[in-house]
Amino acid sequence: MIEAENLTRTFGSLTAVNNLNLHIDKGEVFGFLGPNGAGKTTTIRMLACLIAPTRGTATVAGYNIQKDPLKVRQSVGILTENPSLYERLSAYENMDFFAQAYGVTDLVERRKRIQELLEFFHLWERRNDKVAGFSKGMKQKLAIVRATVHRPPVMFLDEPTAGLDPQSAKEIRDMMAELSVHEKCTILLSTHHLEDAEKLCNRVLIMNKGSVLLVGSPDELRQKTNEKPMVEIALKQVSSKILKTLDGVMAAEGVKQQENRLLISVKDTATATPEIVRSIVAADGDVLAVNALKPSLEEAYLKLIKGGEKQ
Amino acid sequence: MNMSKAWLVFKKDWTEIKRNWQVLLPIIIVPIIFSVVLPAIVLGISGTPIEDSQSGDFDTLIGILPLDVQAQLSNFNPNQIMVYIMVLYFFAPFFLIIPVMASSVLGSDSFAGERERKTIEALLATPLSDSELFMGKVLVSFIPAMLVTFVSFGIYTVLVDVMTYSMFNGILLLPNLNFLIIILGVAPVLALCSIGLTVMISAKVKGFKEAQQISVLLLIPVLGLVFGQISGLLVLGPLVLALLIGLFAVIDVVVFYLGVKVFQREEILSKPA
Ligand SMILES: Nc1ncnc2c1ncn2[C@@H]1O[C@H](COP(=O)(O)OP(=O)(O)OP(=O)(O)O)[C@@H](O)[C@H]1O
Ligand SMILES: [Mg+2]
Repeated sequence: MIEAENLTRTFGSLTAVNNLNLHIDKGEVFGFLGPNGAGKTTTIRMLACLIAPTRGTATVAGYNIQKDPLKVRQSVGILTENPSLYERLSAYENMDFFAQAYGVTDLVERRKRIQELLEFFHLWERRNDKVAGFSKGMKQKLAIVRATVHRPPVMFLDEPTAGLDPQSAKEIRDMMAELSVHEKCTILLSTHHLEDAEKLCNRVLIMNKGSVLLVGSPDELRQKTNEKPMVEIALKQVSSKILKTLDGVMAAEGVKQQENRLLISVKDTATATPEIVRSIVAADGDVLAVNALKPSLEEAYLKLIKGGEKQ
Repeated sequence: MNMSKAWLVFKKDWTEIKRNWQVLLPIIIVPIIFSVVLPAIVLGISGTPIEDSQSGDFDTLIGILPLDVQAQLSNFNPNQIMVYIMVLYFFAPFFLIIPVMASSVLGSDSFAGERERKTIEALLATPLSDSELFMGKVLVSFIPAMLVTFVSFGIYTVLVDVMTYSMFNGILLLPNLNFLIIILGVAPVLALCSIGLTVMISAKVKGFKEAQQISVLLLIPVLGLVFGQISGLLVLGPLVLALLIGLFAVIDVVVFYLGVKVFQREEILSKPA
């Protein structure tokens, strides 16, 4: 659905995006991660035909960004970094203008679509209020539903959850998940929230200073850190008998004690956890809780960015 | 280019402008000053008879008026001459300042203002073509500016005719051919010229205020016409007006050619705001 080939953009002597190659399938949710100034917004702008690449090319929804820019724009719904709403117009007027600009000319259909979208984020009651009086979160939600008004097959969302409270961020994630699953919409989003990437993205791309550091699923990304998964076990009391028993358990590769909790590193939590719990019970341990811990995506991310910086 | 798409942009911009006092105030107040306040003052003081020495100031101006006009003036008393010249010649260039001022205020808001308010990116992401966007924004700068010009000329005509009706024994001074050429011919080409320049300036400056200030510089040649009229160097007769229309039409073509070149998606967003 989205293909990029050696996409490059320079501003004067600064290379904002350097030889980016991408292949994103239909219905995929693809995340762009990277520190400020990494080139995420610039990449999205090139793919949305807002700025021209200095070198390289791309196709979006089957159209070449250089040869068919109007068709690309027609196929894309975009949330820009700035919500980019007309503050002197009401929510409804904003939606109505963009719906028509994207070719939703039928009045009845347009009304129905706008109502449906505004209701989704509980903005319908506020439809006649000027956007100037909206909160940041309301603006963000309005800008997101605006992007979907013409049912685009491809969406570009530049930091969709930036500055939102956890509840609103979840609502927006749910919406993106629904678009991807039910409408087979291909979504490319940039984010600083690793939670978005973790919960939503099939694959993520990490970039820094215009270059791609890694592309892969969130799980693959975790594995890059060389950190092992862990099993966390809370006990009524940790006895020396339990520690001794664990010494003899092959699956428990390392044991750390923190008061009445044990942190045991393992190869694979699925196979190791039952065996470890069994042996603790056999050593008369009273198990209160068991928790399988994956290495955090955040650690993986920070490690990658640091590694990239040293090169 | 699809005109209905350009019209869509026009309607959107117009709805915004209607709610923006920073734009509405100048394009309402300046025309009121030119078409109501100043003429009312002049016609008000015309009731007091003027002395012969003062009327001499008009002699140079009368000297370069067309002969048939001079013949007509010879039958008038000094008060009538003063009113006649003020109302029909002295005020004429004000009706060129109105369209230039209004279209540059509207154009600055539509072009530079949209960029300054950071709404341009979503607009440029739509499948509206560059020419549809450009056309819509030119129309929203042009149509209200001309409307204001027509309305203020209408008010001016009624005011002048009512106040001078008895003084000139039932002759209606306005509308006359000169004014019709100014309003229907010179004003539109001049407004377009100001819009073209505003587009170019808007692409280079940060916000609509700067755009407005710089494009007001365009007023200088128009003010030149005002002072040319006052000092009697120049009289806006049909021939001069026809020349002006031709001159500005040529300038229009040039500034629009450059304006369209400047108004490109790539140019607009690659500049840091
Ligand atoms: N119009 C422009 N003119 C000059 N430099 C630019 C322009 N747009 C972006 N840049 C530069 O390109 C680089 C990448 O910027 P970009 O906005 O793509 O980063 P980003 O990954 O979106 O960052 P953030 O997370 O802060 O949004 C930055 O160094 C930025 O200064
Ligand atoms: Mg960005």
